[in-house]
Amino acid sequence: MSESKEEELAQIRKTLKEMLVKDLSLEDIRPEDIKDDEILFGEGLGLDSLDAVEIVVLLQRNFGMEVKDMENRKDIFSSIDTLAKYIYENRKEVS
Amino acid sequence: MNINGIGIVFTRGRGIDSFEKALQEGWRTPSQVEIKGRKSFAYQVDAQMLSDKRLLKKMRRADKLSKMAVIAAYEALAGSGIGDFNKKSIGIITATAFGAHVTTFDFLNDILDYGEANVSPTTFSNSVHNAAASYISSLLNIQGPTLTVTQFFFPFHSALQLAQAWLNEKRCDYVLVGAVEQYGDVLGYIYDSELTPASDGMIKPFNFNPTYQVPGEGSVFFLLSNKNHDDTFCEIHNVSINADEKDTLQADLDIIDTDGLVADESIYKNCLSPAIPVAAYSPLFGSMMTGSAFNCAAGALMLKKQTVYANPVADNPKGLNIVGETGRSNIELLRCIRYNCHGEKAEIYLRGKPNGEGREVNRQNQG
Repeated sequence: MSESKEEELAQIRKTLKEMLVKDLSLEDIRPEDIKDDEILFGEGLGLDSLDAVEIVVLLQRNFGMEVKDMENRKDIFSSIDTLAKYIYENRKEVS
Repeated sequence: MNINGIGIVFTRGRGIDSFEKALQEGWRTPSQVEIKGRKSFAYQVDAQMLSDKRLLKKMRRADKLSKMAVIAAYEALAGSGIGDFNKKSIGIITATAFGAHVTTFDFLNDILDYGEANVSPTTFSNSVHNAAASYISSLLNIQGPTLTVTQFFFPFHSALQLAQAWLNEKRCDYVLVGAVEQYGDVLGYIYDSELTPASDGMIKPFNFNPTYQVPGEGSVFFLLSNKNHDDTFCEIHNVSINADEKDTLQADLDIIDTDGLVADESIYKNCLSPAIPVAAYSPLFGSMMTGSAFNCAAGALMLKKQTVYANPVADNPKGLNIVGETGRSNIELLRCIRYNCHGEKAEIYLRGKPNGEGREVNRQNQG
């Protein structure tokens, strides 16, 4: 993996963590507390289906992602890592 | 009906003890806010005050309005000292004039900023009419009837009248009745545009004309029932809106809801008697359409503690018989009065809790 790609992925992961903590009001968690490979839903970070809907909106707003008709949704929403990779490969510029 | 518990969240703290402390300590300068580039004042509730580890996880999606309501309702229930509730027999009535207007404007801003398809579903759900009452029901696991009374004038009085009806028809054993309002930029702008802001941050309740307002926010909830427990504050003897003058009772003390939300409050003078001391506590919590609920809490404390609290702002240009000093007193009946801008009057009469007889009966029932 090229250095610039890794740097971009790191930046997306950082943005995602900050976004989740702020916009999902995870008041007792800091962005740096979330591990890159931590499971987001259920037993991991403890997010639920309402958070999933909120994340869909946040991806559209912040990364220009169209999430409808997405294949492998469960895998993509699994962790910060998987979300970051999907965003890196599919994002559009947000004006 | 009786007030068995009171929970409160306001600018100076949370819990009835913090309210009593504010009544004893008197006025403090409210926080500064900026409205369209102009400095003004507001009695705001610090977000830190709403961080509650016991409720936090389930409340994280709630907006400030709902958080204030949940915490006040929780405190009212917990502070009542009544441990054994049938959750299906407790009702909830949330009274508000403006409701979740801050969240509603956030939602509208989201539509403008991101388009209809990309508005936050959480923001939308928090903006709906009954959100705060629903959070209370869900978080405190209360399964009785749950309503929100949204009314510009006298919402708290209407909520009390409804609670009385529920208790009398035995639909509920207890009713959590409360008021909640939130400060926001839009409200601050409207207040400052339409009414006179207090340039020094001080509401002067006995000025009457001109009046000065300082917007407030917070929530106060009362646990009401027809039961008389050890920790009962007092009885709500009567609640009326536009009652006939002949039904007016002579109280030992009048609390008036003057807070600058009516441009001319001179009408209050007509209902006061020189022989009866008068108090007004809006300078402690701010100008709110549901300020009656906070004054009602002050009255309930007075009756329970048999203490009168000095007016936090004692400017008295009309030479009224105002309460000047905090001290022990012998009050049996207290009247809270609010007028609206149309000259309509709402009154709440509070009576000291019944003597030991009721408590004995209650103890016997428990035994």
